[in-house]
Formats: sequence, structure tokens, C-alpha cells
Amino acid sequence: MKRKSMLWLFAMILVLSAFLAACGGSGSDGASESDSGDSKKDGEQATGESGEAKKGGTLTYALDAVPEGLYNWAFYGIATDAEIIELFDESLIDYDENLEPVPNIASWETEDNQHFTFKFKEGVKWHNGEELTVNDWVFALETLADPEYDGTRYTNVQTIQGAPEFREGKADSISGLKVVDDYTIEITFDEPRVNNLVNLWSYPMPEKAFEGIPVAEMSASDVVRSKPVGLGPFKVENIVPGESVELVKNEDYWNGDVNLDKIIVRIIDNTATVGALQNGDVDMIAIQPVSGPEVEKLDNVEIVTAPGLSYYYVGFKLGKYDADKREIVEETPKYQDVNLRKAMAHAINREEWIDAFFFGYGKPVNKPVPSAHWIAADDSDVEVYDYDPEKAKELLDKAGYVDKDGDGFREDPKGEKFEVKFSHYATGNPTFESRAKALTQYWEEVGLKSKLEMVEVNLYYDMIEKDDSSIETFFGGWSTGSDPDPSGLWKTDEIWNYPRYNNPESDALLEKALSIEEVGDDKEKRKQIYADWQKLVTEDVPMIFIAELDEIYAKSDKVGGFELDVSGHNSPAEWYLNE
Amino acid sequence: MLKYALRRILGMIPMLILVSIVVFFLAKAMPGDSLSGEIDPLNTNPEYIAEMREKLGYNDPVYVQYTRWITDFVQGDFGKSTRYKLPVSELVAEKLPNTIFLALTSLLITYVLAFAMGMYSGRRPYTLGDNLIFGFNYAGIAIPSFVAGVFAIYFFAFKLNWFPFAGSVDIEVDKGTIEYWMSRIHHVMLPAFVLGMFSTASYTQFLRNDLIENSRKDFVRTAMAKGTPTGKIYNVHILRNSIIPLVTFLGFDIAALVGGAIITEKIFTYPGIGLLFLDSVTSRDYPTVMAITMMLSAMVLIGNLIADILYGIVDPRIRLG
Repeated sequence: MKRKSMLWLFAMILVLSAFLAACGGSGSDGASESDSGDSKKDGEQATGESGEAKKGGTLTYALDAVPEGLYNWAFYGIATDAEIIELFDESLIDYDENLEPVPNIASWETEDNQHFTFKFKEGVKWHNGEELTVNDWVFALETLADPEYDGTRYTNVQTIQGAPEFREGKADSISGLKVVDDYTIEITFDEPRVNNLVNLWSYPMPEKAFEGIPVAEMSASDVVRSKPVGLGPFKVENIVPGESVELVKNEDYWNGDVNLDKIIVRIIDNTATVGALQNGDVDMIAIQPVSGPEVEKLDNVEIVTAPGLSYYYVGFKLGKYDADKREIVEETPKYQDVNLRKAMAHAINREEWIDAFFFGYGKPVNKPVPSAHWIAADDSDVEVYDYDPEKAKELLDKAGYVDKDGDGFREDPKGEKFEVKFSHYATGNPTFESRAKALTQYWEEVGLKSKLEMVEVNLYYDMIEKDDSSIETFFGGWSTGSDPDPSGLWKTDEIWNYPRYNNPESDALLEKALSIEEVGDDKEKRKQIYADWQKLVTEDVPMIFIAELDEIYAKSDKVGGFELDVSGHNSPAEWYLNE
Repeated sequence: MLKYALRRILGMIPMLILVSIVVFFLAKAMPGDSLSGEIDPLNTNPEYIAEMREKLGYNDPVYVQYTRWITDFVQGDFGKSTRYKLPVSELVAEKLPNTIFLALTSLLITYVLAFAMGMYSGRRPYTLGDNLIFGFNYAGIAIPSFVAGVFAIYFFAFKLNWFPFAGSVDIEVDKGTIEYWMSRIHHVMLPAFVLGMFSTASYTQFLRNDLIENSRKDFVRTAMAKGTPTGKIYNVHILRNSIIPLVTFLGFDIAALVGGAIITEKIFTYPGIGLLFLDSVTSRDYPTVMAITMMLSAMVLIGNLIADILYGIVDPRIRLG
């Protein structure tokens, strides 16, 4: 008997370890929180840590996802590729820790937010030895506006005067671009907007390197794939597709000295993250929250976090959208009662949930803007839904959701059975189901019968987008970039306004915040309008804001000079190794 | 023999057409497409997605899409990967050498170990050595490769530092030098061993059982009566008969050569076809998924053909005219 139970124990351990290994398999979230924008680094800042920056050495930087191999800002598709590009290329314009644009290679002047004059620094060299001129920028902008261009970034060009005509083939060049000399360019937008600058594409492309390559073939060309040319502190020396990239110091870097001799980028599976960090095989890696507790235990590794720019939410389907007419055409009645939505928000214990599923690497968010962003309203100015089951019950009673048949669950005001249907996307990640289940349990605790449905991730967003009637309340995530304007996710005529939130007042505020006549250059005024808008949205609760997650880096304590803020890590030129 | 092979090859054509239909419609039946899922409001917009769907022909009737795909496919144009933005043939060509290298190494390990252990066990059944091998084999079959992979990395790469834990080559060595090849072999050993463990176990067991069975047959007794040395009886008379079931496996092995090992490649971040296939499925990269599946189907058919031909070589009794 005894021996048998030992056998059972052994078998259970095996099964358990299989399960754990499977957990590690797929870490990346299916939702769109992947890309925190074209985040940039602060080139100007000096090394923040005490002590002299040491020269030389090879740093191993790891990624736990496989890049697609599109090493150019104009063509990359996923955040993994962007992480590599950041090491060898930079933007003309930088963002500071408040996500405000600051000059990097280019500085600018404008009087009316429609006509801009950009001045480039002289003597900045591409890795192939050519000097950077404004023509390289014009080349990039015209590539993006080319009808043959197969990337997604035309949105960052289309507001330039004449870009649509160029794309339709009616013009040979973009009329809004006027090259004054090699280092000066005037750009005219189709209308004055406060966010023209942050929306503008700020990455030049090396014209000489791309010479003779038709736009349609650029993304498959060697300049993008195997021999990328950038402006940054490191040059790409060698690429082994899908597994590693070797970067060497750029001796001609325009912005001061580079400390490291080399950076080796390695792709690893996230089951190996902890072991590789412990052994010193990897010096630095952006990790998933789930690896956090284990990495924290390592003596030779420290964790650096910064607030991220993405947030999770639970949305309510309030209407149906007609994609052709670009408007919300009907109301979905089930969750129209604002008190019901408020009660459901109060029912959720967000702190507990974040600690359980994100190991504390995040915090509750109370508004549709990550709190690190400069337009984020103060929590005292918006309606905050703290965990308060009593209040939730009270609100439900008031709204008429009471238990009439004594089964322990509330019926709707008409006395019919009421069931909250909650949908969550499913990938290979087994924690998704439990975290979704936890949310439904909070609702059951205040007497709302809840049902969870896990939907395969690709199908999931399709169903949400098409307002499929089986989606009632849903889990989602958005990431925001340096441009604060939330219109694309919130205006009634936008397809990505998934809850189909329809409030003319909200539309009016969003338009007002972008209008030059109303706001002009007055940032405080703009922020105030956004704060009013956030207050309005939190009062209407079209979605329950759940959590904002931190960006987490694990780095060996040998690595110095590394800084992380909301706009990403600092320039790799400042990193160094203590041996 | 030639006529037989030709007939089999002709017979493959309707099979492949059927497979292509199934592959295509299954791929289309997957929810979502390459443009759904990861929506990032920062660098795309709904108009772009609609435009790309139109451009890629996702809005056409399914049979039109199928005809277009199969016509191109037959002409050797496998389409362009929607994810990597490269022709699928280039993508596969980039990963295939890695996969073949891994598979060959693992096959080599499998055959060497399986023959050594199988012969030993078959000749000395029910001894201590046989039982040890038996135990090892059942552990090999029972432990799933993702568990074995993770444990192998932990012990051999992190604790003992014998092998690298990921990748197929050290990027800092120059391509083409002896060092480069040594580095590749060094990188491939651990995944190859993990990959070969399962088949080693089954091959050994098959070989052992067959050896035992054959050693009780009449021709063995005859050979013994004639005074043939035991070694010769085993190595020539019995082994040749016992190889037949292994030849069946060889057919599958050939398909496995190009199919890659999805789980092993993922855990060891070994950039081969298996990893590519997995990524393509999750990102709904239809052209890549369909091309790889077609390639695998063709290889299974060819592998079986080769196995059938090999039967004839190892055993004249099943030689076909």
C-alpha cells in the first residue's frame, strides 16, 4: 500500500512538472498590449549612476520572443523587432519622461502648428558612412506614402499636405515637403493640429542604401533583413535569423562616446530566462511578470521597473457599429443601466487580482489613460471604483436587480433571470482562464450570476470588432503611445471603440482638445480638457478599468548606466559593464 | 522496381490534390486571419486593414482563393509570408538546413544507440543489463519531450555547463571555419539527444523483441546445428530479418527530417521548420502554414515509397515487380 502511494506521488510530480513546463511555453499576451509605442531613449542624459563608466566589454541582451527579422522602423511589425532596432537606430525626435517631444538629431520651430521648420544636426553619419541629410527623411516619408508600401505606418504621413495625392499617384512628390538645404526642411500639414508633431513619422531612411530597390521589395531586401543601416551607437555586424544579432560599437556615433564594445542579442525561450540570468549567460532581458518572483531571488540580478503605457479593462457592449456608415447604429439594452455597470466595477478587488496574476508588477488604473502619461487626470478628479461589495450590492438593489426567486442570484428589474456573460481571449497561456474566472467570481459574490467564455484569441477580436451578439462583457487591453490623443479608441465613429460608447459630450471634448482655436499651445488647457473627458468616461463606465502593468527589466548587477522610464530605456551608448 | 516506383509516384498526385484541398480549407477555417488579433492603435488603422484584406484577396470567394493558390503552388510559387513579408520558399530555405542538421544528428544518435542497446538486449534477454535498458526505454517513452528538454537545459546547460542552452550557433565565430562547424555541432547535440530519446526507446524495444522472436525460429536452429558461430547467426541471419520493422519507421523518419520538432525547437530556440510552423499557425500566416503542410505531406508519401522500396532490398520475399 505504502509503495503504491509513493508511485502515485511520483506520477503526480511528473504530471505537475509537465504542466508547469507548459505554463512557461507561451508567455506573450494575445492582446494588443505588446507594443508600447515607438518608444525612444534619452540620448542627452548623462549616466545616472555613481562611479565612472567603464569602457569595453560585451553585453548579452536577451529576448524571449522570436523577431520577424524586419529591422527597420518603417517595416517592422512586432515589438520584438523594435527592441532590436532601438539598439542601433534612433529617431530625429526624442521623448522625455513626461512623453513630451524633445529635439534629438532634429530641432524644430513652428508658429501655427501647421508649418514646421526642422533643422538637422550636421555631420551625423549613417553606419554605411553616408551623411544624414533631410533628403533621407523625405525619402522615408515618400516611401511610407507610396501605394506599394506594405507596412502600416502611412497614418504617420497622411496629415502632411499633398500626401494623399502622392499616394493616389496624382503627384510626383509630396507638396508639403520643402527641402531648403541639406539640413533644413519645411513641412506643411493639411491643417493645424496640436498633435501634428508627435504624429509625424520621425525616422529617416538611408536613401543611398535603398538605392535601386523598388518600394514593394524593400521589406524583403537585405537593407531591412540582414544588413540594416542605422544612426545609433551600435552597428549591426552579423545576424543569424531567428536566434541572434551581433552589434558592435559605432566609432562615429554623433552623440558622444559609446561605452560597450559589443552587444549580442540572443533569443531565448522563457523557460530558460531564470537559469540564463543566474548563470550570467544573459546580462539583460525584459521579463514577464510571471518570472518576476523567481528572478527577484537571484543574487546577481536586479529588477528595474517603470510604469508602462498599457492598461487592461473589462468592456461592456453598449451598442452595435456599422463599419460602412462609420457610426453606432443601435443600442444593446442589457448593460445600459449605469448603476449596474458601477456595481460591477465596485465588486472587483483589483489589488488582490493584480497581486495574484501579475505578482504585484502593476497597479489599479482608474481612467482610460495610463497614469504615467502627462494628460492623465488626478485620481481625485475622476470617479474611482474601489473594491466595495456593500456599495455594489446597494447600487444593484437601487437599480432593481434583486433576488426574487430566492436562488441566491439577482434577477433583472423585470424579474427575469439575469446572467453576466464574460468573454476572455484564450491562447496557450493557462493563467488566462483562472484570471478571467476570478473576475466572474467577484461578480457572483455580489449576487450576479456570471458565465465565463474563453474564445480563441484571433476569433476573439474579430467577434468584438463585429459586435457579435455572444460578446456581452469582455476583457481587453490597449497600449497608448506618446501621442496622448485617445480619439482612435473612443470616438463614436471609430471601429476600435469596442464598447460602442456613444456620448456626444465625449466626442465634443476629444475634438476640443485637438482644436487649435480652443487650445493653441496651451498645454495646461489641453490637459484640463482631457481631464474633463476622463471624468466623463469614468462616470459613464463604458468599461471597468482594471490594471496598468509595469515594464520590467532584469539586469545583471555587472551592468551599469541603465535607466528605464515611461518612454523606454535610455540610449545603449550609456550602458557599461563592471567586471 | 522502376515501374512500381513510377506507379506509386503517379498515385501520389491525386493524394496530394486531396491533401491540398484539406489543408487549404482547414487553414481557412481557422478563426481570424493574419490581420486580426494583434491590433495596435499606434501604428495602424482600420482602413489599412480593410485595404490589406482586399489586396491579399481574403474577400474573394473561397474557391477562387483556392484555385489561385494551387495554380501558383504547382508553378513553384508558394506565396509570400504575410508575417515575415518574404517569399515562403526563401523562408523555408533559410530554416531547412538547420532542421535537417538537427534531424540527421538525432537520427544518428538514435540509430547508434538503438542498435547497440537493441542488439545487447536481444541477445541477453531478461538479464540485468536488459532490464536496465528496458527501464531507460520506458522512461524515454514516458517523459514528454518538453519536460525532458527543460530538464536537459537545467542540468547539462546551466548546472554542468556542457552545452549551450539555446540557438544553433555562436554568432561571434566566422562562418565557414572549422570553429563554426564545431560550434554548430556543440549547439545541436543537446536538442538532438532530447529529440532522439523517444525514437531510440521505441527502436530499441522493437529490435530487441524481434531479435528474441527470430532467435527461436527454425532457421536459427538449423544454423546452430550446422555449427555457425553465434555472433554470425545474430549479426547476419537474425539481424537482417529484424531490420524489416525498422524500415517502416524510416519512412516516417524521412518526413521528420524536414518537419522539424516543434516542441524541441521551441524550448531550445533552435530556428528550424518546427518553430517557423508554430509561429505561422499562431499568427495566421496562411501561405507559410499551407506550404509547410504540403511539404510535410509530400515527404510522408515519398518516405513511405522509399520504405517500400527498401523492404525489397532487405527482404527479397517482399520484392515487387
